[in-house]
Amino acid sequence: MCAALALVVVAGCQRQAQPVAAAVAVAKKPDLSGYWALSRTASLPGKDFLDSLPPNTVFLNDTGAAEFPIGDYGGLKPRPAAIAAAQKWKPEDDMAVSTACAPPSIVYAMQGPFPFEIHQGTEFIIIRLEYFDLVRIVFMDGRPHLPADAPHSKVGHSIGHWDGDTLVVDTTHLSASTITNNGLAHSDNVHVIEKFSLSADGKTLTASQEFEDPEVLKNRGIRHIVWNRAEGEYIYPYECDPSFGANYQK
Amino acid sequence: MSRWLSLLLALTAAQAVAHHSFAVFFDGDKTVAVTGKVTEFKFANPHGTIAVDVKGKSGKTEVWKAETNAPVILRRLGWTKDSLQLGETITIEGWLARNGTHYIRMRKVTRADGSTVGTPISFDPKSDLNSK
Repeated sequence: MCAALALVVVAGCQRQAQPVAAAVAVAKKPDLSGYWALSRTASLPGKDFLDSLPPNTVFLNDTGAAEFPIGDYGGLKPRPAAIAAAQKWKPEDDMAVSTACAPPSIVYAMQGPFPFEIHQGTEFIIIRLEYFDLVRIVFMDGRPHLPADAPHSKVGHSIGHWDGDTLVVDTTHLSASTITNNGLAHSDNVHVIEKFSLSADGKTLTASQEFEDPEVLKNRGIRHIVWNRAEGEYIYPYECDPSFGANYQK
Repeated sequence: MSRWLSLLLALTAAQAVAHHSFAVFFDGDKTVAVTGKVTEFKFANPHGTIAVDVKGKSGKTEVWKAETNAPVILRRLGWTKDSLQLGETITIEGWLARNGTHYIRMRKVTRADGSTVGTPISFDPKSDLNSK
């Protein structure tokens, strides 16, 4: 009788241990939730980062406000058609009433000097950018990407997983949009992989943004982006006013 | 007493730098300050707009416009949609548009009493700062 009771108790404990173990496993993942503002000083990567770039990949040094002038693509090697399109680009075209409020894709948007909020769950993670009110959903439930003919958008379709303590976000289905804001645009077949890691004190979020687009580029690009957490801050609505474009039209 | 135009054109040597629509539209080597009455103030994204009537030496009124950083940035530098009032006299300092028009990228706005609106943009065309 005592042995039977002991077996029941042990079995019950084992059943309880499974959800506790699962909760501990989830709780051990870094929590990236919060308000994040671009660091003005820390986005230049260290030597380790630069020495371990993937093959055929150039570090794109335009994180934040710095951007390349017309004709300079920061080391990216565009294909002839992409260069021709970039050479035809006129800045005023992006400043028309019809285009002044057209958001860029997350390829360009993520490295800008605008803050975002992360709301982290177990099945999906929301990244809500102040820039053009873009909202990204990163599906964490193991689903695959959408079929190739599914709709594209400026935020695309993102699936994520944890690689240790690094959040890896894989994004496809992005609408064609600028890479460097000087005429060079990615196609709607661009593939982006971002890796986010949190500092030990939870105050700094660092990401690499790798992208490849064989239709447009002969090589790949990678950015290094650092954000600082700020408490008590909020994302404001962007609420773009297209009439601004009238300032650039004659 | 009539108001005079205070137009200061300071040519500052600066290295060519890679910046945003800033590099494309504005000359980082040419800074200017104009003083006039506010006739328009739009505090909206992607960039705010300030228009001022500036009286030239000939007495003719010139319209100058300044483009500001995105309000999502200005707001965190102390600006609001009510920061400027129509009719008030201000001095706008900034960088001239490359196309030769009376168009400026705003760096700083000073009121007639000498006070600054918000915190001036700490933008150096030579370095990586707010131009978006």
